[in-house]
Amino acid sequence: MNGVHDLGGMHGMGPINPEANEPVFHDDWERRVFAVTIATFGAGNYNVDEFRHGIERMGAANYLSTSYYEHWLHMVETLMIENGSISRDELNAEQAKLAKEAA
Amino acid sequence: MAVLTADMVAGLAATGASCRVDESMASRFSVGDHIVVRNINPPGHTRLPRYVRGKRGVVDRDHGVFIYPDTSAHGQGEKPQHVYSVRFTPRELWGDTASDRDSLYIDLWDDYMDPKV
Repeated sequence: MNGVHDLGGMHGMGPINPEANEPVFHDDWERRVFAVTIATFGAGNYNVDEFRHGIERMGAANYLSTSYYEHWLHMVETLMIENGSISRDELNAEQAKLAKEAA
Repeated sequence: MAVLTADMVAGLAATGASCRVDESMASRFSVGDHIVVRNINPPGHTRLPRYVRGKRGVVDRDHGVFIYPDTSAHGQGEKPQHVYSVRFTPRELWGDTASDRDSLYIDLWDDYMDPKV
């Protein structure tokens, strides 16, 4: 698909500024998204091409305004709902529960 | 839901879940062949970037046989085929004001290319 993920040759995306001493994870939630992704991918719930396409199918504005591991999280949620492992309702309920606990 | 168990981890870490396919098959291209990238615009997944479509390059290396992403992403089978490193000049990709000293190498599947006639 000719999506916004295909950035090669585009102008106006701003400078690339690699961080000095970049940490593997910037926050603990990134570590958890990595673990959930490897656990679900490694077990064979989806293949790497479905993984990449799951990210490409994010809305363009959403894709450009979210971070690397937010893309992964979107992909895991999308594919695990599509393959019937979880439902959208279950996901919403868990998110609401976590939000309540964090409040 | 398939679950990752401890005994699966070592194999996964060792291979990185490679898409290489362990079978031999005829390649459509050889190192040194001049090719033209197909101008395809599939609505589904592809690993063919827009900026090389329709461009001319030279096959630099044959990586071997790999799963084809365009079908694999959509449950349409692995369709294994050769993947090549293909060299492009910046001027072919970006026009006459681009560098004449550099090369761009990109990995392309058999189905992404035609022979240059």
